[in-house]
Amino acid sequence: MALKKTYLQQARHRWLSVKAGPYLAFFWQNPIGKWGVLLLITFGLMALASFFPPLIDPMYHPMTGVDPNISNVTPPAWNHWLGTDYMGRDLFSQLLTGARVAFMVGVSAAFMSIVFGTLVGMTAGYSGKLIDTLLMRAADMIMLLPTLLVVLLLSSFIGQLSIWTIVMLIAVFRWPGVARVIRSQTLSIKEKPFIDAARVAGASHFRILFRHILPNVLPMALLFMTFRVTSAIILEAVLAFLGFGDPGTVSWGMMLQWVWKTGNMFQAPYWLFPPGICISLITLSFYMIGRAMEEILDPRLRKEKIED
Amino acid sequence: MTMKYFFLKRIVEIIVIFFVIMTLFFLLFHFAPGDPVSRMVDPSMTHEDAAYMISQLGLDQPLFTRYGIYIKNFFQGNFGNSFHYGEPVIQIIGDRLPNTILLFTTSIVLSAFAGIFLGRITAWHKGKLIDTLGTILALVCHTLFLPWAALLIIWVFGYQIGWFPLGGILSPELWIQPETGYVAKALDVLYHMVLPLFTLCIIHFGSYMLIMRSSMLEVIGEDYILTARAKGLSNRQICNRHVAPNASLPVVTSVGLSLAFSVNGGALTEIIFSWPGIGRELIFAVTNNDYPLALASFLFISIVVLVSNFIVDIVYTYLDPRIQY
Amino acid sequence: MAEKRACLKVSACVLLIFLSAVMLMSCTGRKNEKNFLKIAVSEEPESFNIWLASDANSRKMLSLIYQPLYIRDPEELDLIPWLASSDPVYFPEDLSYTVSLRQVKWSNGSDLTSSDVVFTINLIKAFQVPRFISKWRFVKKVEAVDKHTVRFYLEEPKAVFLTRSLGVPIVSQKEWEAVAEKAIHSEKPYKTLINHKIEIPLGCGPFVLKEKRQGAYLYFKKNPFFFGENQTIKGHTLGPYIDRLLFKVYRSADVAILALKKGSVDYYWSGIQPGHMKGLTRHKKIDVFVSKKSAFYYMGFNVRKPPFSDPHLRRAMAVLIDKQFIVSLILQGFATQMTSVVPKGNGFWHNPDLPDYGCGLSRAERIKKAYHMLSSKGYTWEDPPVNQNNEIVSPSPIRLPHGRPMEAFTILTPPAGYDPHRAACGTMIQEWFKDLGLPAQSRPMSFGALLNTVKARHEFDTLIFGYGRLSLDPDYLRSFFHSNNDKSRGWNMSGYKNSEFDRLANASLAAMDKFERQKLIWEMQEIILRDLPYLPLYNPALIEAVNNTAFSGWVEMVGGIGNIWSLCCVKHQGVVP
Repeated sequence: MALKKTYLQQARHRWLSVKAGPYLAFFWQNPIGKWGVLLLITFGLMALASFFPPLIDPMYHPMTGVDPNISNVTPPAWNHWLGTDYMGRDLFSQLLTGARVAFMVGVSAAFMSIVFGTLVGMTAGYSGKLIDTLLMRAADMIMLLPTLLVVLLLSSFIGQLSIWTIVMLIAVFRWPGVARVIRSQTLSIKEKPFIDAARVAGASHFRILFRHILPNVLPMALLFMTFRVTSAIILEAVLAFLGFGDPGTVSWGMMLQWVWKTGNMFQAPYWLFPPGICISLITLSFYMIGRAMEEILDPRLRKEKIED
Repeated sequence: MTMKYFFLKRIVEIIVIFFVIMTLFFLLFHFAPGDPVSRMVDPSMTHEDAAYMISQLGLDQPLFTRYGIYIKNFFQGNFGNSFHYGEPVIQIIGDRLPNTILLFTTSIVLSAFAGIFLGRITAWHKGKLIDTLGTILALVCHTLFLPWAALLIIWVFGYQIGWFPLGGILSPELWIQPETGYVAKALDVLYHMVLPLFTLCIIHFGSYMLIMRSSMLEVIGEDYILTARAKGLSNRQICNRHVAPNASLPVVTSVGLSLAFSVNGGALTEIIFSWPGIGRELIFAVTNNDYPLALASFLFISIVVLVSNFIVDIVYTYLDPRIQY
Repeated sequence: MAEKRACLKVSACVLLIFLSAVMLMSCTGRKNEKNFLKIAVSEEPESFNIWLASDANSRKMLSLIYQPLYIRDPEELDLIPWLASSDPVYFPEDLSYTVSLRQVKWSNGSDLTSSDVVFTINLIKAFQVPRFISKWRFVKKVEAVDKHTVRFYLEEPKAVFLTRSLGVPIVSQKEWEAVAEKAIHSEKPYKTLINHKIEIPLGCGPFVLKEKRQGAYLYFKKNPFFFGENQTIKGHTLGPYIDRLLFKVYRSADVAILALKKGSVDYYWSGIQPGHMKGLTRHKKIDVFVSKKSAFYYMGFNVRKPPFSDPHLRRAMAVLIDKQFIVSLILQGFATQMTSVVPKGNGFWHNPDLPDYGCGLSRAERIKKAYHMLSSKGYTWEDPPVNQNNEIVSPSPIRLPHGRPMEAFTILTPPAGYDPHRAACGTMIQEWFKDLGLPAQSRPMSFGALLNTVKARHEFDTLIFGYGRLSLDPDYLRSFFHSNNDKSRGWNMSGYKNSEFDRLANASLAAMDKFERQKLIWEMQEIILRDLPYLPLYNPALIEAVNNTAFSGWVEMVGGIGNIWSLCCVKHQGVVP
């Protein structure tokens, strides 16, 4: 028994160090990182599980499934684990779908803003001079706009609010911070001897940027992604809560908006608490992972303020 | 000389950015769909009446004419009248802004103090249980979904326990009595501030605490702390005299920038606590096509943030002589 | 060490201040005075300038200040004399109406005379005030016969003169004359007029604005010169019996309702969502009023373009929409199904026997019926929604009569934050349409953009829209469906054109006989329900709540208890807690 346990531990240790590199191992040692990953896995499972309830019975469809026997808000029961909303829709399947939407919104908005921010940051840092000034001043400009308000204004422009519009808008307003940090990184990498070596060897600017600089700024970009995911999730929830979300999509912000607007806020705790707690926990898990990553990547980066 | 050149360059940049923003917002609002008339859903109003109203509000002018008027008015300090309130927008902003600044700056300062205090403790005990617990507490508080937490706090403290008012900035019953003095009125506002302040502090102290903690850890690693230790100073003396003051600098910078952004207000907080601030007004203006109000507020916010960024730059050069341009 | 001590001192001071504040507040907060009514509102009024104010809260407050010549009584909803002393007298020879006024005083003590009435109408006409002008354009001339008699000359007979025009609030000549004089000579007269700031409006209603503090409260006092005091009109002996009236702003309905339960306010002047009902009815101190609303929520089709120009398609869509579901689930039963474009509550004008598409059918029956309706008109499917065994199956996309597949179309709704019910309706209707292979997509749009798209540019397929405050006079039928109004910013959003309807609408406008007009209005409803440019969906009920500890005597009326009758009649129960 004891032997088997050691063996397993060894095997796990080997897997971690060989396959996923030392980072994951560090995560496991860092309590904050560990809990962050565990939480995230839970939400990942929830997101996956969200595909099942509608298959069991169409009444478990989070948006359009209505329990024919129910015409009001009902507390948890055997066939509705978290109860139902005012139309008789299952809250548990809404909560699961919310996890999927949160991942979708968070990851895609963050990914887009990271890609854009990294590209801009690298270009600005590498080319310097006029292009640098122009790009960075554009970044400054976007940073000083009140994001929520401008997103609202632009959404009235596009007219139709869909979850992807919201994702796009969030991405557009969240790249400048990334671009700044990546730029300063690029500036320091640019002075390193291996860049000069590459240049002497005749590498094109494009090649230097993508083969030599990009791999060095990538970890930082990934770290920023965790923060951007949380800010995207929160911004979507705020938009939804204020009533500017996509009512065709069940996100946690929409669930909170429904419970708030339909007046069940203080009547139905089983409806109010789960989405609120889930928003907190999923952002928490990304923060925790981000904090843990930060300590691995660059202890000097700690000055970056958490965005909200 | 170089520093002077740098600041001059910054000032020019700021002016250019401001004009770009001004034009950008103008175009945004010009092309935004909807107009203030469309909100008047009265079936007896005919299309001629609506067109007349549009022309009276000057919304039927071509783009360049309107832009010219806009720039001219800006230099005359005239931002026009709100479509919905009919009052000059300057007056509306002037009415709402003090309330917002009162609530949000206080909350930033309070949460920065709380953050510095807790960050000091957790960093000093790095790796111990108190550190982990403190960090997790900060993160949990920071990730609370604001409207959700705010409504729960109102429900518990305002309704169930009933210690605090349910919202608003003052008690009308008290203010309408002519004999109420200034002290009582000030106390009344203070009393109404408790719950929103509490909510905002809970949510914001976390980020300051984390900055403080990181900064502390960095300072602890510096050589002069080792020197201090070698001198035989006690732990408390090292922490209070040498580490904490140096480590709070990044927090101060962060507070400075947050203070600038506090002119944005927070629409959610203001709606839920019925706080008559600028944040909700802006949402209203943007979603109801009240262009003059929205434009002027956006410009105002941009100026404040731009100028305070500039001030932070200057202050930094004085605080840290190592910075060079 | 010294630092720490100072820190302690400061925190002790702060704590002390807070504690004393709490004690002070709890003393003053509890004091409940007699005849002091407190009302919660969701927003403060935008303006007290009556020519500008168009939002609900301004209208509520202004209705307590500026009074019309005639007003609707709460029970029969007939127009009864208010500032006027008797019904208007009609002379068919010169198409004139003569109205005599009561002895009314403005709240500053001066007399309200016929010249004030003449001034008001002339101001509306001179500035073309958009909200009122359409009701006065056909009035040729207004003259003051003597101090208390006014005569109106019409260009042609109009039925709406009595029902709509005479409901206009009268303003004081003294208050507005100089302002109007200055404005009329400015570059943009109307703009100058609406930008005039009114601090304390001068009216003749039961209350006078005393003081307001932006974002916090509005404080009214009883008008000592109110003409209705101690008068009995239609069985209501008017007061007002309250000396002081306070409006407090609570921006979130939940918090306002907590304030109501706590007794900080006596009434929340705003509709309450059905979700609150359970909590409110359980509460002993709360009385709930459910009133009818003169409202109209519908689905509109853009009949200018195919395939929605085909009435058969619109009728089949109507069959698919389950109004019973919408009313009982989405609106939680606090609404009635609408079968005509005139609400049922509006008894005299509502046409009760109109076709109700698919009423009482089950889901499957609806799909079958709609399927048969469409397949007989040339619509086809590769896999029809009803198979050979007469079972419902998931269909392939529908093909139009000429064989091409139907393009995806949108159902526009206001965003959920504006109206959660309409957004939810959109989602459900989208699913019902999909059962028949109709490629619908429900899309919320911010309200300004929605109106712009629909009203100004006419670029939409279908929409769910509503009017929360329809006038009781059915003249809006003409606004909605007359082909003249099919213009940019016109109210005929569907683009419905029917010369027969136009003829009836014009006739109904001129019909001076009530019963003749009723017949025309009924016919118009029949045409609309046959052609379905709009499909009426539901008419929501209005839920309101009051705290019953101190005040009673609220007057129920279509449109809720928040009306001038209530505020003139509500009384303190005499027991001071």
